[in-house]
Amino acid sequence: MTDFIQVLVLGLLAGGLYALAASGLTLVFGVMNVINVAHGALLVLGAYLTWLFWRRTGADPLLLILVTTPVMFALGWVGYKLFVQRVRGAPAMSVLLTFSLALVIQGILGEIWSNDFRTVITSYSNHSFTIGSIVLPKERVFACAIAIVILGLLWLMLTRTWLGRAIRASAENPQGAALIGIELGSVAALTFAIGVATTGAGGSLISFSSFFPSTHYLWISRLLGIIVLGGMGSLSGAFVGALLMGVAEAMVAKYVPNGLAWVTAVPYMVIFVVLLVRPRGIFGAWTREDVATV
Amino acid sequence: MTGPPLRRIAYGLFVLAATVVLALWPILNHDAYKQNVILLAFLIAVIAVGWNIISGFAGYVSLGQSAFVGIGAYTAGVIAQQHGWQWWYVPLGGAVAAGVAVLLGAVVMRVRGHSFVILTIAFLFIMRLVATNWTSLTSGSNGLSFPLARYPREWQNTPFYYALFVLLVLSVLLAWSVRRTKFGMGLIAIREDENKAGAVGVSTPAYKLLAFAASAIFVGMAGAVYGYYLSYINPDGMFDIVLSVQAVLAVLLGGRATILGPVLGAGLIEFISEATNDRTYGVAGAQVHIGGQWRLIVFGGLMAATVLFLPRGIIPTISEFFEQRRAHRRSAQAGVLDLRPVGLPATPRVVEGNGAGGRVLVEVKHLEKRFGGVRAVDDLSFSVRQGTITALIGPNGSGKTTAFNLIDGLMRPDSGEVWFDGERIERLRPWRRAHLGLGRTFQITRLFGEMTVLENLVAPLREFRWRQLAADAVAGHEAERAEELLDFVGMHAFAHERAARLSFGQQKLVELAQILMLDPKLILLDEPAGGINPTLIERIAEKIRALNELGKTFVIVEHNIPLVADLCDPVIVLARGTCIASGTAAQIQRDPLVLDAYLGEGWTVEEAVTA
Repeated sequence: MTDFIQVLVLGLLAGGLYALAASGLTLVFGVMNVINVAHGALLVLGAYLTWLFWRRTGADPLLLILVTTPVMFALGWVGYKLFVQRVRGAPAMSVLLTFSLALVIQGILGEIWSNDFRTVITSYSNHSFTIGSIVLPKERVFACAIAIVILGLLWLMLTRTWLGRAIRASAENPQGAALIGIELGSVAALTFAIGVATTGAGGSLISFSSFFPSTHYLWISRLLGIIVLGGMGSLSGAFVGALLMGVAEAMVAKYVPNGLAWVTAVPYMVIFVVLLVRPRGIFGAWTREDVATV
Repeated sequence: MTGPPLRRIAYGLFVLAATVVLALWPILNHDAYKQNVILLAFLIAVIAVGWNIISGFAGYVSLGQSAFVGIGAYTAGVIAQQHGWQWWYVPLGGAVAAGVAVLLGAVVMRVRGHSFVILTIAFLFIMRLVATNWTSLTSGSNGLSFPLARYPREWQNTPFYYALFVLLVLSVLLAWSVRRTKFGMGLIAIREDENKAGAVGVSTPAYKLLAFAASAIFVGMAGAVYGYYLSYINPDGMFDIVLSVQAVLAVLLGGRATILGPVLGAGLIEFISEATNDRTYGVAGAQVHIGGQWRLIVFGGLMAATVLFLPRGIIPTISEFFEQRRAHRRSAQAGVLDLRPVGLPATPRVVEGNGAGGRVLVEVKHLEKRFGGVRAVDDLSFSVRQGTITALIGPNGSGKTTAFNLIDGLMRPDSGEVWFDGERIERLRPWRRAHLGLGRTFQITRLFGEMTVLENLVAPLREFRWRQLAADAVAGHEAERAEELLDFVGMHAFAHERAARLSFGQQKLVELAQILMLDPKLILLDEPAGGINPTLIERIAEKIRALNELGKTFVIVEHNIPLVADLCDPVIVLARGTCIASGTAAQIQRDPLVLDAYLGEGWTVEEAVTA
């Protein structure tokens, strides 16, 4: 029983972090109907930036969020203007484009920093809180807590600010939003930039565990699994999906025979099952073009 | 390639010459390195040609194509390790790959767009995980070794070269025959508009499953040969997404849905691949090998650039250029609609009991369709007698188009029944209804934009037979009939124009001719006069009347009341999803319920008439 609770808690801690990582992906899809397959690669890029600054300055990764987030925001804005803007109307092409950008990022990361494992180590690495017999690694607790704080800020931004309302309006009804004077183009660019900015914060938080360039496959499959599960475009859906994914991975690793080898299969299985059984996910609305009517 | 004969001959000669050179290459040239490069280009070309069938023709973009290489290679490898190498492992690998592809196709049948691409990526990675974790069969990440080939060393890789060469020729022949048959026509119809394809009688699931099989079979065979050639395979190398990317890129560069584009593209890709793999940079005199990372950067970058700047590919961009020049010349000669009256060629059916006293052809009973909380169609009942031109009118949002969708099968009702010619059809798939004799046009025309007008006409299918798939796409009696129908609607001059280039009114005429190819008993017209000029409206009305005299029954949704009054009898009025009145146009115009539905309370007949 303690074992089970321990696994559950670790899964939830991971899930909180996943939720932040998935938020940008689902936000971008909701507003512009583009699945940014480079999201995982950008997340890994965020981790590399954190690692780079940390090695130069010794600063805590949790503080470096303040650096990586604006850097990735800028990158997202430029990336939107240069690439994504041109393929918005063509779903399959936008997946091909962002996938090829992911490959380029992977190649560049490997070229500069090689394919070795990297990890950020802090004074609290390898320290844990213990509650009863439950062990909570400090890094994971901090990462999860900060991820949830940032998600809270994102939520406030979306619900309480004019920009947030404009973003939600363009997601729900682009023509209507345009008619009441929202400039869809700049809202889309800002949304994409905000979506990519979350990979800055997320990248800093994942830098505690080891990563290397091709880790992005793991991340993008996981994040796609999460947003498909939660319903593509739904932020609250992504949150619940992320917690479920975190727990599912932890459970598979622990209880399935040879589980560690199959953990990476969990997101793919989730994607397959959800898209086939309930394509709109837990919270999402039907997206017409993704499913045949007959 | 529809060009003047001279250019076609030149093109044919070029292809022939290239084929001969490649066939003789190992005999003429003994450079092992060059032979390997060409051999790998063959492999990418086979994958690309296969990808082109499912993704170029049918429009289902996949990034999992390289999985079939792995499946073929592992099928051969697993058996070869225990029983030694036999040549028939190659077709076996192809068969297994095709089987898996059909299975995948059946599972993802309803998924489109983004979700489809993502599923194919997931498919590739799941296959890789299976190969990695099913260690008792595949030895997992340790990989499998093939038995060594037993032929003289000085042959180098010539046997593999020829094996892949033959597979490439076969797969190009397959793609070519797919393109020129009904099968390929159906796939392109699916790419252009899958629901419409179903509505004109294409049984889309059968077509898609077959396309999956066709796209995988030679790739699986090539995988088996490739595995034997490598003599050692492992999951990461065999289920490599970069190989998928290269194949996709080959097709995008060469041209989607062309026959030889993928081969041309594959040649380019392999050339670039070698250039990046083996180029060595002198860094302070040292030779530094730059393999893997640059492969990602170069191919990722190339694919991004292609998607952004050359989305149609090399071959289509060039032929587009020529097409435009030709179109320029032709528009000087025959740019206008041919409005001369032409007799109807259709073989008239023997029609009994037409008109007001005729038997009931369509009966709709208590039909209901909800969208969330909205009841778009709510307890709708009406019947249509054979030989009539029945109008379906009503204010916007009264459920007219939804009723059409329920009758022709684009949507399924939540409850209620639809009877057509004595058969209950509300659960039948759209193509089954088309085969029964139901044709339908759309409010916003839905022609297959990339097809020519003539191809649009021969795309509809009046039945489904396996043999039919292999029939020529545009040929024989059918092509003649198509040309006659184009004459009938006055669009013959545009037979070889791409449908997307036509004006809206022209598209309406072509769409009418298109469904006439089904020789339907019942024709549903959704706003035939909407958005087109008055001369054309008159022309369309004339055609409808002519067809009706030949026994075709019409149901017409239309807002142009004078046209309805002139053409239709009876008129059925819908409001809020249900039938509120029916009768002759004159009766309807006096019906207070109808006036109320259209104009709201407070209006009187006199006001409406004077207004």
